[in-house]
Amino acid sequence: MIGIGDDYMKKALILLGCPEAPSQTPMAIYAVYQLTNMGYEVTVASTPSAMKLLEVSDPEEFYVKNKIDIESCLENLEEEAYDLLIGFVHKDAAVSYFVTFYHILNTTSLAVVFEKDPDLLENYVETIQENTNANLVSARAYHNPTPLRVKFDRAIKSLED
Amino acid sequence: MSFCLETYLQESENYEILISRAGFKDCKIIIEEHSPEVIHVKAGEKILGVRIIGIPPIAIGIDEEKGTITLPYTKPCYGTSVVELPIDEEEIKIIKSLNIKN
Repeated sequence: MIGIGDDYMKKALILLGCPEAPSQTPMAIYAVYQLTNMGYEVTVASTPSAMKLLEVSDPEEFYVKNKIDIESCLENLEEEAYDLLIGFVHKDAAVSYFVTFYHILNTTSLAVVFEKDPDLLENYVETIQENTNANLVSARAYHNPTPLRVKFDRAIKSLED
Repeated sequence: MSFCLETYLQESENYEILISRAGFKDCKIIIEEHSPEVIHVKAGEKILGVRIIGIPPIAIGIDEEKGTITLPYTKPCYGTSVVELPIDEEEIKIIKSLNIKN
């Protein structure tokens, strides 16, 4: 957030997983919108296929202004390069990516975990909780982003407080 | 030129995939059971030119007799695979120096 008498703009990184879960793309654009309103410069790191969905959803880059390939982002990532990490997690690989980004960045982090299978959801949540001190929201969500959006709003509000 | 895992996997056939499209925890068990020697590294540690993705401590298998290492390889849409590939002695030394626990 822009402080008084200070030009520093906080930077947030949103990490997307495999785009096959329908909730991910709308939630990503929504998260960029909310974080931008909070004063963050937001970058979205994703696979080429997830990026394609963002490009079609936001053709004039009205919301998503900074996009980067997840592999090049990881390659050049340094500790505290971002002030906030938000990771969308709905697959085992996304858990691994989130935990890895978390340990490299060593910054305030929020995992947004969603999955329709309750056992998998619990497994992803437990793995993240056991291996990071990240904030976490989770919901049984796949097509419908609303449960996730409501929890996401509460979580980022509490990060601001 | 230094070794690059991404390029190697694309251009060579001299490697073995022990499991593919799996969960990270299963891959860790496979590495630990398969390899005569196992070291553990931090998440994001660079090995053979790429950052290793996973839940730390990440197991890396070493077989000095065969001259191979066995490591997890994760992609967002395909899960984690376990790959065993030949590397030279110097690289094995470098990788061993990354061990975070005994």
